[in-house]
Amino acid sequence: MRQRPAIACAKLALSCANTQAAAIPLRTGPVLHRLNHMVQYSNTTIDATFAAVADPTRRGILERLGAGERSISDLAAAYDMTLTGMKKHVHVLEVAGLVVTEKVGRTRQCRVGPARLEEEAVWIANYRAMLEARLDRLGDFLGHTHGDDV
Amino acid sequence: MTDLMNAALTTPSDREIRVERVFNASRDKVWKAMTDPKLLAQWWGRGNKLVVEKLDLVRGGHWRVVEHADGQTHGFEGRYREVTPPERIVQTFEWDGMPGHVILETMTLEDLGDDRTKLVTVSLFMTNQDRDGMMQSGMEGGMNQSYQALDRVLAAMN
Repeated sequence: MRQRPAIACAKLALSCANTQAAAIPLRTGPVLHRLNHMVQYSNTTIDATFAAVADPTRRGILERLGAGERSISDLAAAYDMTLTGMKKHVHVLEVAGLVVTEKVGRTRQCRVGPARLEEEAVWIANYRAMLEARLDRLGDFLGHTHGDDV
Repeated sequence: MTDLMNAALTTPSDREIRVERVFNASRDKVWKAMTDPKLLAQWWGRGNKLVVEKLDLVRGGHWRVVEHADGQTHGFEGRYREVTPPERIVQTFEWDGMPGHVILETMTLEDLGDDRTKLVTVSLFMTNQDRDGMMQSGMEGGMNQSYQALDRVLAAMN
């Protein structure tokens, strides 16, 4: 799998962590990078990747790692979290290939991993979120209409 | 009302998304909400203004809706491949931002009795290349919003 530059990972993670409110998932924008059509995809990583980036803490971790390596204890301190709790988050990211860890002396260092966040996670997340939002809205609509309305 | 929020999501393969959802409404009512242009306009846009430009509900018929959000417009369209009232619609789905890249949506309505209806939507991405193409159009700008929407949905599912 192609190594993704750390800066691009940071940009992606940052946009994930951003908290602007809006509804529409599909939006045209500048093409920030070109994808390689020859990249091979693993069928099994989709759910893992999606689950990994669905959590705001884990998106925040990716954002921090985009700026450089951090130890698990650094990350735990940054989130006021126990080492055990942070290890679990890092493990989820590691399984998805978004983070790699390495034991250095008495600490475990984390850095951005080789998996690329975009193809599976972004498009599926976008489409899926749109689908779910539509169904939520339909549920509300059906819940608020009566008899002759529909 | 609580079961309205219990959407069951799976990705049966790397090309499919399957969403199951139960609504507290009769199958006829859900069908009508999905196929009557005036009713569709009230929910499909997820709170954004939606203009239903075309909804020709027959096999081969063309549907087109335009969502207005933040001063921008987003057109979606496709053709109906199967229309079997009140239980099944198979349609293609395209976004104007990536013309020619098609998702096949199969929507099945199951009557659960007691004015409850299960809607199962299976979305099939035609090829991995199509999915790559979607990405090439530059979707990063939409990530904030989509993850926000995702967060809301996930929070609502708790």
